[in-house]
Amino acid sequence: MATEEESTVREPLDLIRLSLDERIYVKLRSDRELRGKLHAYDQHLNMILGDVEEVITTVEIDDETYEEIVRTTRRTVPFLFVRGDGVILVSPPLRTA
Amino acid sequence: MSGGSGGGGAVKTPADFLKSIRGRPVVVKLNSGVDYRGILACLDGYMNIAMEQTEEYVNGQLKNKYGDAFIRGNNVLYISTSKRTLAEGA
Amino acid sequence: MLFFSYFKELVGKEVTVELKNDLAIRGILHSVDQYLNIKLENTRVVDQDKYPHMLSVRNCFIRGSVVRYVQLPPDGVDIDILHDATRREARGGG
Repeated sequence: MATEEESTVREPLDLIRLSLDERIYVKLRSDRELRGKLHAYDQHLNMILGDVEEVITTVEIDDETYEEIVRTTRRTVPFLFVRGDGVILVSPPLRTA
Repeated sequence: MSGGSGGGGAVKTPADFLKSIRGRPVVVKLNSGVDYRGILACLDGYMNIAMEQTEEYVNGQLKNKYGDAFIRGNNVLYISTSKRTLAEGA
Repeated sequence: MLFFSYFKELVGKEVTVELKNDLAIRGILHSVDQYLNIKLENTRVVDQDKYPHMLSVRNCFIRGSVVRYVQLPPDGVDIDILHDATRREARGGG
């Protein structure tokens, strides 16, 4: 089924198209990251992900030492619709170096 | 008058520039200040970008590497060609 | 159109809408429009201790642009249908 035409990257969204049904990494605004299986997307980068892990990174300043304390909080969601306007970057994680 | 040959000659318009840099090593700076260095695979009219061998730099420090990366165009501040030579084996 | 159509199919089911200001509201999806504005009924705020002023809110209209996530009911996701719709959308509107 997959012809040469369907498997080449001619425009950026092809990279997303080729990631359908794959686990992807999504970097979002406000220091959020998602990993999940891509079930649907549109040209705005609205997406539906499955088996999603969200990581939120927060930086606090210690009151006394003024040291930065980096905290990550994690949660999992079975199915998540993600609004595209918050998306910064999408990467197929398996090919992540 | 001459059409956008875009190869290596004089670049005339932003569109010519964008056409001419496919396959080249670039630095993409986002509004957040984060830099992405890698090979520009392609881009579209929204400045959505596909990159290969991408390195993410936050405050000049390497934070992440991505084999392939799609960057949503609204986050892009600029795209700059870079002279950096990447490791062989692309 | 893909997600507009998808959310229309979800009307009557319970969802959790998470807003960009971190407020999360659970409720029955009453309706949706092309901008993905959302009307919820029988709502309750997920973290009631943090947002006590929302205690009496039972219905609400949410502007699509302030939505960060919508947590979907597992029985409201048919993966094969989504894949087909996405491929059709990619061909048509790319």
